[in-house]
Amino acid sequence: MSSLIRPEENVNPAEELVELDPHVFYHPIRRDILHLCVVHYLDCQRQGSASTKTRGEVRGSGHKIRPQKGSGRARLGDAQSPMLRGGGVAFGPKPRDFATKLNRKVIQMGMRVALSARVKEQSLGVVRSLEWPEPKTKTLKDRIEELGWWKTLFVTGLDRVPDGLARASSNLPMVETVTAADLNVYNTLKWPRIVLDLAAVEWFERVLGKPQVPPREYKL
Amino acid sequence: MSSVAGRFKATAGRVHLFNLSPAHGSQSTQKRLGRGRSSGLGKTSGRGHKGQKARAGNGKPKAGFEGGQTPIVKLFPKRGFVNPERKVYAPVNLDRIQHWIDQGRLTSSPEKPITAKELLLSGCIHQVHDGIKLLASVSPSCVASRMLYNVFLQGAEHLKTAIHITAARASQSAIRAVEKKGGTVFCKYYNELALRDCVKGRTDRIEAAPTKKNDILWYTSWRNRGYLSPTALDKMPPTLVHERWRELSKQLLAFKSQEYEKAK
Repeated sequence: MSSLIRPEENVNPAEELVELDPHVFYHPIRRDILHLCVVHYLDCQRQGSASTKTRGEVRGSGHKIRPQKGSGRARLGDAQSPMLRGGGVAFGPKPRDFATKLNRKVIQMGMRVALSARVKEQSLGVVRSLEWPEPKTKTLKDRIEELGWWKTLFVTGLDRVPDGLARASSNLPMVETVTAADLNVYNTLKWPRIVLDLAAVEWFERVLGKPQVPPREYKL
Repeated sequence: MSSVAGRFKATAGRVHLFNLSPAHGSQSTQKRLGRGRSSGLGKTSGRGHKGQKARAGNGKPKAGFEGGQTPIVKLFPKRGFVNPERKVYAPVNLDRIQHWIDQGRLTSSPEKPITAKELLLSGCIHQVHDGIKLLASVSPSCVASRMLYNVFLQGAEHLKTAIHITAARASQSAIRAVEKKGGTVFCKYYNELALRDCVKGRTDRIEAAPTKKNDILWYTSWRNRGYLSPTALDKMPPTLVHERWRELSKQLLAFKSQEYEKAK
């Protein structure tokens, strides 16, 4: 375990160990499940606001532009046909919802695989707590430079991110804070380094851990 | 993850957004018609040349049409009628109930008899249809010897405990077998609504009495263990009997002692 705040002299944070649940943090790596989760997340992020007008929606009257026969040119109806310049679009995009459904348990497995992948690459760290004393960006920046923790995602297991850290890091470009409930597979893969606090480790082990099912009692 | 050597892509090191791919064979490309020769689905787009099936819109005749030949649904005459009062009872054998009791999935007492609800929820019955019919299953070898009074019944022989059951109907052999072991059977009239309330556990509504002549005759006779027969009203535990039933029983059986003027 490391620590965000500078520790006391006699305590070496690197010697403190935290035990992780292998079902959550040592899960076999399934890249195809990660692919499903990431594609699902990106689909849901789509705004889906591309819109065009069909020949019925383009402003204009329905009168026939030139007579059916006699002009020597192709036959035409109204001026909004997609064949013509200024006409409507045939089969153009309309605002639609691109969200897809993915099974809840697949997403949970994706979270476990993503955390396990980070543990395997040694890019996951655990801190005792993410409290930062005063909301000064400068001091946080210096500490992060010292630790070498740029491009890090801090995940807290509490209901809200600690105020000091949230305010100090909000203007830092390569640092991001999030709660464990709001963490998704995409962000876990996007950020090169993840730092959890102990509450977050407990949260993941509770939510993603193997459910304990008591064996059924039979009366024979 | 598949570890077949030929398909396993040895992606190095870290998992990132740029080196994810779907499982091999899990996703296939969409069939796009009318987009050029090389796609294999250009020009006629998989429809061949001309004919009814190549046309836009439905392109098919109506269902059952056989090209002008008299279709099979018209070849044969209509027959009979469908009886709207038909009742289909869900059969349940005594050996099945005994097995459920042995497993601990069913229990019964005189105050809480087995009804359609318990049988459905425990999985003894899959659908209640129009009610439960209690049967003692008879093996084919016994059918020939049915003339004997004490015929050896296969289903009934498995019954060991005294069960208390309220069904829509029950066969005579089943009644005999249950009462021999000290249990009780009562047959109650359930219409659609009453059956639904029984299964859902609703007790606020009044359950309807039988209105048809055949039903009245059936449920007021002790031979069938009908709930409206005087003997049954005495024998049923008082907590289960509604006062209304006693009055109903009296009124429905009044015809037996009524006199009428004979036509001259």
